[in-house]
Amino acid sequence: MGEYALLYILFAPFAGALALIFVSNRQPLLVRGIAASAAFVSLAASLYIFYGYDTVQGGFQFVQKFAWSKELGIALYLGVDGIGTPLVLASSILLFAGIFVSWHIKDRAKEFYIWLLILAAATIGVFMSLDLFFLYFFYEMSVIPMYLLLGMWGSHTKKYLEMTDPEGLKQRDSVGFIFNFGSNSKEYAAMKLVLFLSAFAVAALMGILLIYKFSGLNTFDILVLREQANLMNIPVLGTTLDKIIWVLVFFGFASIAPIWPLHSWSPVGHAAAPAATSMLHAGVLMKLGHFSIIRVAFEILPETTRELMPIAAVLCMFSIIYGGFVAFYAKDTKYVIGYSSSSHMGYVFLGMAALNYISLSGAVIYMFAHAMATGMLFAMAGWVYDQTHTRDIPSLGGLSNKMPFISGCFIVGCMASIGMPGTVNFVAEIMIVVGSWNKYPLQVIVAMLGIVLTLAYLFKMMRGLFYGPMNQKYSHAHDAVGTVDRLPLLMMITISIGFGIFPMHLYDVVRSGVDPLIARITHVVPVAESNEGLRSVKGAAATTDHLAIPMVSNTPITQVSEAPRGGQE
Amino acid sequence: MSFSLNLSLSDLLLLLPEIFLTCWLCVVITIDFVSPRLPKERLAYLSVGGLLATLGCLAWFDMNQVSGTLFGNMFVLDRMAIFFKIFILGSTILVILASIEYVDRFTLFRGEYYALVVMSALGMMFMASANDLLSVFVSLEFSTLGFYILVSYLRDDLASNEAGLKFFILGVFAAGLFAYGISLVYGETGKLVFSDMTSAPATPGLIIGFLLIFAALGFKIGAVPFHSWIPDTYHGAPTPVTAFLSIAPKGAALAILLRIFIVALGTFKPTWIYLLVAVSIVSMTYGNIVAIAQRNIKRLLAYSGIAQIGNVLIGLAAGTKMGNDAILFYLLAYLFANIGAFAVVIAVSQAIGRDEIEDYRGLGRRSPFLAFSMLLFLLSLAGVPPLAGFVGKLYIFIAAIKEGLYTLITVGLINIVISMYYYLIVVKQMYINEPIDPSPISISGPMKAVIYVGLAGTLAIGIYPQPFTDWVVAATLMFANFVTPAAAVTPPSLLIGG
Repeated sequence: MGEYALLYILFAPFAGALALIFVSNRQPLLVRGIAASAAFVSLAASLYIFYGYDTVQGGFQFVQKFAWSKELGIALYLGVDGIGTPLVLASSILLFAGIFVSWHIKDRAKEFYIWLLILAAATIGVFMSLDLFFLYFFYEMSVIPMYLLLGMWGSHTKKYLEMTDPEGLKQRDSVGFIFNFGSNSKEYAAMKLVLFLSAFAVAALMGILLIYKFSGLNTFDILVLREQANLMNIPVLGTTLDKIIWVLVFFGFASIAPIWPLHSWSPVGHAAAPAATSMLHAGVLMKLGHFSIIRVAFEILPETTRELMPIAAVLCMFSIIYGGFVAFYAKDTKYVIGYSSSSHMGYVFLGMAALNYISLSGAVIYMFAHAMATGMLFAMAGWVYDQTHTRDIPSLGGLSNKMPFISGCFIVGCMASIGMPGTVNFVAEIMIVVGSWNKYPLQVIVAMLGIVLTLAYLFKMMRGLFYGPMNQKYSHAHDAVGTVDRLPLLMMITISIGFGIFPMHLYDVVRSGVDPLIARITHVVPVAESNEGLRSVKGAAATTDHLAIPMVSNTPITQVSEAPRGGQE
Repeated sequence: MSFSLNLSLSDLLLLLPEIFLTCWLCVVITIDFVSPRLPKERLAYLSVGGLLATLGCLAWFDMNQVSGTLFGNMFVLDRMAIFFKIFILGSTILVILASIEYVDRFTLFRGEYYALVVMSALGMMFMASANDLLSVFVSLEFSTLGFYILVSYLRDDLASNEAGLKFFILGVFAAGLFAYGISLVYGETGKLVFSDMTSAPATPGLIIGFLLIFAALGFKIGAVPFHSWIPDTYHGAPTPVTAFLSIAPKGAALAILLRIFIVALGTFKPTWIYLLVAVSIVSMTYGNIVAIAQRNIKRLLAYSGIAQIGNVLIGLAAGTKMGNDAILFYLLAYLFANIGAFAVVIAVSQAIGRDEIEDYRGLGRRSPFLAFSMLLFLLSLAGVPPLAGFVGKLYIFIAAIKEGLYTLITVGLINIVISMYYYLIVVKQMYINEPIDPSPISISGPMKAVIYVGLAGTLAIGIYPQPFTDWVVAATLMFANFVTPAAAVTPPSLLIGG
């Protein structure tokens, strides 16, 4: 049974969605039951692979391979390494939590759960794809459900109705959505999200097709490509091909991450989305970007990554500071959390840019940690919105009287998001900071400022929502009392704090995935004799110094790190 | 050139599908005349029965690899011809099933409608087998004749008459171009059969002749700049005819284009590739950008069809065996998605009486089945995984990138994003907007069957394409001798599209 675990994780939500098609909306309990049990199967199998992952052996485990198209060289090739495993777990946790967070959806509940399950399954599919084609397949597949989830169950931003002509329905439906949708409508958010992500996804697809063409191997298999594809030193357009591919792949996938100049779809999308969708969106969908960059750019073009990753180091500063400031001034709860997410994704880019064992492991753990923290925050923002039907912070206040449980959880969520010791975010943040200090001290200082900013805007929002005088309009609001409502929050809090106190297994798993990758990237190829080559040699030397840092005692990992391409399969 | 008209019985076997269908056509017409009181849907099922029998016969041919040529190479039955015949018959069957309800709108000649559809299909079957310029011309005109009548079948509707007239005038003009092209090519080479022309020198007369022929076939498939009839004709024609027009003739004309470009002109690939690259880029971009401004679903699908043809031409520009496979595969994906989308349009217009995109408001509530089907069909046309269109597009892109057509692929990829916008506008109307009149929409049985077939095809090709790729790879095997090893002819350049 164990070796098929990935298939259960991936196909349980699909099967659930398929089963839901044949169920009527008149049986709400059955609908929710099917969705929840599909998510539960996925969660159970994810826990199984997370704890069953052999960190000593490392490499890709639970591998499944089915030929899909011989002519095109495509196989449904699934497998997880130390980087994919925690992200698969995070996805299925958030899916499971998301089902319960959206338990009270009345309008077309069946369709909602179908799209939510497909969204989550596609996301999970990316995290376990070892085939470039399927990576893109699932990536693009995760974008479309967002359109429907935002459009059908989302909400307009405040004052949307005042800004559009009451009789102007027709006008809004015509062409030119930028002018006619009303830029704070959910239709605008949904369309912007899909078009933005698709536009950059096709850039990444172009990069993937170029890899396919110039490797000449007639395969999309990442493991074959990373060993055998020789894409270096092909001159083209005044530069080399590998750089063009890298830039296409990096920015193509970084748009969903979202890195600074490409972030504008994200807060709008978060604000318009229903709570469970925001959770999945901020929690795992954004990580598709980092993960795909690691999987494609880091694995297949390690030397180019070493050369060009400073781009990310520069852009991540803007992400952190810009996102933080906008979050501070935003008045909409979901905008605050949305911008905070895009700011926090800057840390992940910083950890990735520094390219050493500690910082990259920190980045991966941060992805997991952020999924939990932001999932909690969005779930609670969704609860507040459901109760008060507003997300406008200034008009809210004093809700802690009405909802003590939610406000208590909110404090925990804020603490986790800030990175308080005791939550897994702390572990991740400290690793990113320590790991990147030698290479990018400026960025680390900026990241520290970002943490201060996080503190400022989250506390400001917490005060605005839960403390101070209460608006009597919201006196009917009530707390989450049912098990169903409390379960997702308690689950995410438990995981966040649990891994914060006992991070060892998570750390071992992540290191077993990160070590061979970093070894490949910092492993200097003697062929490079140009100036650039020399520079990269120095950079590599600086990064390999960190091998000596005894971050946490960890015997099995050093074994893996000594063998560069740590025994895959 | 020597014609031998000594047909043996085994030669007649190659013509069996056409002969059978001709007889069946006569039977259908006769029954309509003999018993005018017979409900017309019986005639529809009768036609479908004949078409199914023909389809079965062709499937048997395909499995037993029956092949051969007739009439001094004028008529060829190879696996590609069989593929296109199955394609044409499949779309004809689906169109007839989708029009059973719609036919009630015709005031007169309801019975002849089915006969005309089958007659056009018969003409297109000959097109799929045509192996020289004369038989191409004759079969092309034969099939178009039926369409001229079908397009203007709504006698009292001004738009339908206008559509018919426009189609007729431009169609006849294209036929003239074609005939002139044939005369030039024949004058230069003295040959009519495609496979004899391979060694002809590139004289100006030959080039102009083939350009004229390309223009005429470009008219059939609706590639820019030969597209001007498409929107009005699609808009005005009865919707089932539009569906038919948007699929079957494109397939048949592409069969001829493949034979001309790969077999007859294979050695001139470095020259014609620029033509195809240019036409493909313009078709995709024009089709998609103009589709954004459409408010009528039929016009939207018309422009989307122009853009889809641009995509198909990428595969033709690649000019390799894989490019041909990709074209055939893409056509399969296009068949299911397009016929499905038109079936939904017919079902909605039966209930509402109009085809504006606005009328799709809240379809998700009025008929979840129709809305969900339309969603999948449109997303397949847009090229979203896990649907057929995505695999089709990727197949074409992979074939093209192997030939180094970077510009073309870049434009194609950008166009995917552009097209997503207008497809999603329809999705928005169906799902996000609330209906004005929430009464549910009922769907007739045959229509449901068509939509189910469309859904099954769209999903099956997208989720597990292996059987379909096997089929198309086998279908173009005979091209392997003609396909130019392009990499040797044109060194790959990253700057130029060609």
